[in-house]
Amino acid sequence: MRQFTHILWAIGLLILSIPVTAQNAKDIIRKAEEVRRGVNSAQGEMTMTIIRPNWTRSMSMKSWSSGDEYALILVTAPAKDKGIATLKREKQVWNWLPKAQRTMKMPPSAMSQSWMNSDFTNDDLVREASIITDYDQAVLKDSVIEGRTCWKIELIPHEDSDIIWGRVVSFIDQKDYLTLRSEFFDEDGYLVNILNASEVKVMGGKTFATRMEMVPVEKKGHKTVIEYKSLQFDKKIPENYFSVANLKRVR
Amino acid sequence: MYLTLAWRNLWRNMSRTLITILSVFFAVLLANFMRSVQEGSYSKMVENMVSFFTGYVQIHDNGYWDEQIIDNSFEVVPVLEQLTTEDKEITSAAPRLRSVALVAHRDVSRAAMVIGVDPEKEQLVTGLKNKVVAGKIFENGERSILISDGLAEKLGLGIGDSLVLLGAGYHGSMANDLLPIGGLVHFGNPDLNKRIVYMSIETAQEFFGAPNRLTDYALQLDDADKSKEIVKSLRAELDTSTYEIMDWEEMTPELIQMIEADRGGGVIFMGILYLIIGFGIFGTLLMMTAERKYEFGVLVAIGMKKWRLGLVLFFEILFMAALGVLLGSLFALPLVTYFHFNPIEFTSMADAYAEFGIEPILPTKIDPQIFLSQGIFVFFITIVMSVYPLLKVLGLNPIDSMKA
Repeated sequence: MRQFTHILWAIGLLILSIPVTAQNAKDIIRKAEEVRRGVNSAQGEMTMTIIRPNWTRSMSMKSWSSGDEYALILVTAPAKDKGIATLKREKQVWNWLPKAQRTMKMPPSAMSQSWMNSDFTNDDLVREASIITDYDQAVLKDSVIEGRTCWKIELIPHEDSDIIWGRVVSFIDQKDYLTLRSEFFDEDGYLVNILNASEVKVMGGKTFATRMEMVPVEKKGHKTVIEYKSLQFDKKIPENYFSVANLKRVR
Repeated sequence: MYLTLAWRNLWRNMSRTLITILSVFFAVLLANFMRSVQEGSYSKMVENMVSFFTGYVQIHDNGYWDEQIIDNSFEVVPVLEQLTTEDKEITSAAPRLRSVALVAHRDVSRAAMVIGVDPEKEQLVTGLKNKVVAGKIFENGERSILISDGLAEKLGLGIGDSLVLLGAGYHGSMANDLLPIGGLVHFGNPDLNKRIVYMSIETAQEFFGAPNRLTDYALQLDDADKSKEIVKSLRAELDTSTYEIMDWEEMTPELIQMIEADRGGGVIFMGILYLIIGFGIFGTLLMMTAERKYEFGVLVAIGMKKWRLGLVLFFEILFMAALGVLLGSLFALPLVTYFHFNPIEFTSMADAYAEFGIEPILPTKIDPQIFLSQGIFVFFITIVMSVYPLLKVLGLNPIDSMKA
């Protein structure tokens, strides 16, 4: 009889432990998102380097962002592209074309196209922080990236969501909740993109990965690197800063 | 003697002869028309593709055709420019720099194909000036552009307005500009008509940040059937690790496949048509044999050799077939010619055709080959059908046939 109770307990624990792990994965993701969003609400300077088999191109940029909804990015160099600016407002993207002296709103058909000829797409830019609501999460195992122990978390999008990926695997640092690596798989299970984050530094009073690298796996020799040069978190940027009117003015 | 007899026999019973000739006549007329329409539609497809766009042969940077981006362009070198002067078979060469770009007016934007061309040389290959429906074409180096009228309508733009363009430039630069619209072009293919922007090659090179570069050379030949040969000789002449040389069949394999598949279906259809034609002719021959049973019986009874009678009969059929085929071809010619110059227009199927990039009109093809082959085929069918009356005559029993 006593033994039977033990077994019952054991089974009970087993059942309980499953939702506990799932809850953990959700918590980890939520926390990582908070860290990421914190970095997003900032202004700073960065360089984007597009690497191709036959050429590389470096652009300097200034960026302003507020949460996940609003962002403004201005190209400051090289001279040929100077003044080109991108505004992201919720799910929409506008570009300021200095040579044409006009703004252009990206049509839905262009959202999956490359942003500023890089390996990032316009969609990558506007992707909402729906990572918590649109995905099922599960912790797979621990692994080490950049000398940091990470949770390897598998994210499977809900069937009714409009996520284009079949599966995303994220590696989240256990100390600072930094997303150090994300692997994007298509619906057929093929690895399409790898987003690496590295060079963890303290900048503007926060710890985060200052280097991001987007690698399209299928294209040999293609890569885009974004490196933050400086970041400030203290200034609160008003929402109307991220307007189409300001897109023309921003310097 | 047999021939004269046969000829006289024909006109002994004019109406009977005429019915037989008419059945052959209509068979030939119908077959000729069907085939001309069918081949005409294929020619139209090819013409659409070739003369509106690809040209017969193109030279690109090696790898461009698989990945059509501005980075896969090539530098203009004298070797390429000399091609037309050296090679007499190549009548003209049109340099182009093209890529996709977003074009916009106010809040409406669309993806478009931006094509930088030399207006004079492009005229010789694809007749660009003939497609201008309003305004005028740019000169070399001019900044004004031509856009297709379908695109102008979508964006709510007209001549004198300016178009905003954004695209991927050479080596990752951001191509953007505001260019004045100098004229409108029209393409019969509705899909193409919604997304074409032409500008001078210099403007395109500046826009894409690709000075002195081209994505393709479109070659015009004095004889379209020579494209395979030209491709071969160019491949021997130019460095194929730097350049790729393709003819229109390679560039539009789906078109060739579609035509082949359709032609296959056409063969079945023509088979059915021949079957109907064959039985029609057989019917009239059957009637004739039955009608003349008594006559044949008498002839054989008074000593006419059966094989001689058969020979006369064979010549009769031969004459009728020849007359029918001749008249049929003669009448088909003006009919086909008329529909060649006044093509049938589709209204209900326009959309389906638009999908394949074809103008919704159906001109017939005037091809002596078609007339010859159809004429011979129907003639042949008639001769085969003549076996029945011949067998009847050869197996004739004069007593029985005169009893009837």
